[in-house]
Amino acid sequence: MNSVVNAIPDAFKSQYFDLEDVADAQEFYHSRGWTDGFPIVPPTPEAVQACLDWVLMPANEIIGIEPVRERAITAEKLAINAVMAGCLPAHFPVVVAAMMAMLKEEFLLHGTTASTGGCAILVILNGSIRKEIGSRSDFNVLGSSDRATSVIGRAIRLALINILQVSPGAIDRSTLGHPGKISYCIAEDEEGSDWPSLAESRDIPKDASAVTVLAACAPRQIMNEWTSKPEEILDTYAAEMRANMRNYSIWSGNYAVVMAPQHREHMRAAGWGRKEIANYLFEKARVKRSEWSTVGKGSVIRDKGDTEYCALPSPDDLLLIAAGGPAGGFGAIIPPWLGTKSRAVTAAIGACIDCEPPSQSK
Amino acid sequence: MTIRVLNPTSEAAVDTMEPAQRLTSLEGKTVGLISNGKEGTAGFFAHVDRLLRERYQVAKVVLRTKSNYSAPAEDEIIDEARNWDLVISGLGD
Repeated sequence: MNSVVNAIPDAFKSQYFDLEDVADAQEFYHSRGWTDGFPIVPPTPEAVQACLDWVLMPANEIIGIEPVRERAITAEKLAINAVMAGCLPAHFPVVVAAMMAMLKEEFLLHGTTASTGGCAILVILNGSIRKEIGSRSDFNVLGSSDRATSVIGRAIRLALINILQVSPGAIDRSTLGHPGKISYCIAEDEEGSDWPSLAESRDIPKDASAVTVLAACAPRQIMNEWTSKPEEILDTYAAEMRANMRNYSIWSGNYAVVMAPQHREHMRAAGWGRKEIANYLFEKARVKRSEWSTVGKGSVIRDKGDTEYCALPSPDDLLLIAAGGPAGGFGAIIPPWLGTKSRAVTAAIGACIDCEPPSQSK
Repeated sequence: MTIRVLNPTSEAAVDTMEPAQRLTSLEGKTVGLISNGKEGTAGFFAHVDRLLRERYQVAKVVLRTKSNYSAPAEDEIIDEARNWDLVISGLGD
């Protein structure tokens, strides 16, 4: 029995299918390799149009072009994948901004998604949009903390899979990957921090909402509840960064550090802010190439044993994020995929980051 | 009841390209090797170089290395490749 289905908006270019029901849609999408293995929300024309309406974009608007394979991403295709991930229209501006940021040349999206290194795209939210979409920054922040961040992170992954063919074994050649490749999105705890927000520290106006994207490895959790001294607390973070440099990649890049309230309170009490923390980690997160001999990599030290490597190209390259539940002396470092081959990009939400300024009218 | 749903993939038509003319012999030819520059490539491409000269009588082997192994080859390398009879581009790592 067929009921009448709504017409496709004229502007839509996508092929459509008339399926029996939601259960049929699940099998239809899974069987074509169009999911991450979890159930999807069927992307009906109405749901996709609602996302486009929210961002005031026509279906054929070009969100950006992946620079290496020169693939255009339209608002229509991105919205379809966002709906499938479970996004509401109010989530879609974040997905759009994150994708625009990922398509900037310095992000090297193709390399990050094709690499055997297996990184994921970490999306960090700042500004009032965090509250509008109901994201949370406290308990289980690097897990499934809330609906908004879960579906936004998933939308990014589904868009990569479906629009840019970043499926495992196709473009995605990850040896291992990590759980962040299902969804990897967090919101900063701006209310619980007296620092300027991450976005503000990266030159986004205070009143704007923004996303920062980082090609990122899995989080490495640390714990130090046995001191209140900033230096000693940060020594634990620095040690984890050095361990990553020895064991994974020695090259400097954008390291993210997630600091929960307990450590932040010690920092605040001692008068340490973003700058002091970044400067300290810049000085301490260093290894010599000779240290490779302690982790089984002695064969590639050669005559450069005394060469010193810093985790950060500069203190400004640290992405310090206030987030985490109220109790526990925990934090995490999130290493970059591969040095500076991909750079973190921050973009305001609702802004056109490639637009030319308006020409002067006479 | 029927639900109407949309295709999430790019649906972009892939441009097909004509394959280059196949060589019938490597003898006397110029072969370019484009290395991604990773640790293991030095030994790998040195071996390929030797095989090409000794076993296939290749006249000249040119080795070029990308500056970023995760990014496409630089335009200068692509331009230079137009002068080669054959290109071997691989990971070797």
